[in-house]
Amino acid sequence: MIRTSNLTKRFGATTAVDGISFEIGRGEVVGFLGPNGAGKTTTIRVLTCYHPATSGIAEVAGHRVDTDPVAVRRAIGYLPENVPIYTDLRVEEYLSYRAALKGVPRRERKAAVGRAMERCGVGEVARKLVGHVSRGYRQRVGLADALVANPPILILDEPTSGLDPNQRRRIKQLVRELAQEHTILFSSHILAEVQDVSSRILIIHRGRLRADGTPSQLVGESSGRRLHVEARASVEGLREAIGRLPGLAIESVEPTTEGYARLTASVPPGEDPRDAAAAALGGAVLRELRLELPSLEHFFQQVTEGHDRAAEVAP
Amino acid sequence: MNATLVTIRKELLSYCFSPVSYLVAVLFYLLHGTLLHSLIVMFALGGADADILPTQSYGLMSTFVMVVLVPALLTMRCFAEERRSGSLEVLVTAPVRDHELVLGKWGAAAAFYALLWLPTVPILWLLTTDWFLATPLTFGPVLTAYLGMFLISAMLLAFGVFASSLTDNVLLAAILAVLFNLGLLVIPGVVHRHVAPWLDNAYVRQVYEKIWVFDHFSNWFARGLLDTSQVAFYLGGIAFFLFLTVLSLGTRRMA
Repeated sequence: MIRTSNLTKRFGATTAVDGISFEIGRGEVVGFLGPNGAGKTTTIRVLTCYHPATSGIAEVAGHRVDTDPVAVRRAIGYLPENVPIYTDLRVEEYLSYRAALKGVPRRERKAAVGRAMERCGVGEVARKLVGHVSRGYRQRVGLADALVANPPILILDEPTSGLDPNQRRRIKQLVRELAQEHTILFSSHILAEVQDVSSRILIIHRGRLRADGTPSQLVGESSGRRLHVEARASVEGLREAIGRLPGLAIESVEPTTEGYARLTASVPPGEDPRDAAAAALGGAVLRELRLELPSLEHFFQQVTEGHDRAAEVAP
Repeated sequence: MNATLVTIRKELLSYCFSPVSYLVAVLFYLLHGTLLHSLIVMFALGGADADILPTQSYGLMSTFVMVVLVPALLTMRCFAEERRSGSLEVLVTAPVRDHELVLGKWGAAAAFYALLWLPTVPILWLLTTDWFLATPLTFGPVLTAYLGMFLISAMLLAFGVFASSLTDNVLLAAILAVLFNLGLLVIPGVVHRHVAPWLDNAYVRQVYEKIWVFDHFSNWFARGLLDTSQVAFYLGGIAFFLFLTVLSLGTRRMA
């Protein structure tokens, strides 16, 4: 549904987006991750035909953004960052205006607005001025606007920024529901959110694509796995037993209570040494045998703060 | 086309909600009222000639205050406000073309401006009634005077829309438009004496006559004379400034 090839956008001497290529299929929910200023919003603005690209190709729903912008925009429901919407209209009026602008026929307009309002839970503020509703409602009005013409693709730029945890959960829930009928690309710099909602993650940093995969793939590929063992054994015995396993690097061993000792070791990416560890300990009583997987956060840090060459994804 | 109509409707709604439009209306009717008052006094006491009423009414400089200020105030928010609040992004990422939006914004401003003038018609009619002054007015020249006023203002509104698309500062947009309006209305009259020697040249005279808006008004439209080349001048001016606005919207998004 969305395809970019070597997409580049420069503003004067600054390169905001530097040769990004990716493809998003129908029905995918893709989280677009990156630190502030990484180029997320710029990429999104090229896709929504707000900025023209400097070079490269971007296609949405089979239409190129440079030659057929109106068709592209018709296929997209867009929620910009900070939801800049008119504050002098009532919620209902605003959505009705947007539906008309997007070409929803007069007869279907009322139903379309009603559907979008119900979907996003803004029915109770329908008669209020947009400028008077809370931040959370405003965000949902923006979402309702994106939905009102029922486009196949939704592009949401930081849909949860500035919301409290409850509102954030509701928006996440909504995105999950919408994923059943729409292809969704949404940006965020909050990792937990992206991990919860999306089926795929793109990480962008300094205008370049650094990673592309499912959350578990990305986590699986990254370093930072740890094995935690707590068993009834002496410190030396535990160290010796686990130290025999290949690939593990013991980080710490310390005695705990009642004759138990606790060991932490780092594990190479992709390996699960739990069975081997249990076997190596023989019949010793175990209190804990746990493989700690690195968080997406850890991976994100590696990709965006580590050396530039480290996690570069081949196009 | 649909997008233009939708935009006109929405903008008219916004004009109705905006306190600025009420202030503009107050200013407009205040000036119009004083003007009309002095005219009535002239008729009642001085026995002025009814045939020159339109010229007197609309050719006076104080009318031009309305033409200089009011269009600038009406259009100053068009795009400057959208740019400032960021809602321009929402607007132009809807499946519409820039020219439809520009046409819609200008159309709404022109319609609102025409609405402002509308209540002044029955007042003129009032002057002709037996129980008031019973002035024998000819409505032909009044009609062309209204048309001329509307054409001039529509062009100034088009410039106002353009000025508004250049900046995200509403005040700056207004000042820019006022300066332009003033320049167009005042400068040709002021420099007339100084350029007189060159007016022997037919080309210079042609151009000069075209841009002398004040003369168009008081010597043509207000006397009931309709010169199609003048009408074409204003329609062309409207198209020109709206075209510039579309360009300005397009290039502004590049950066």
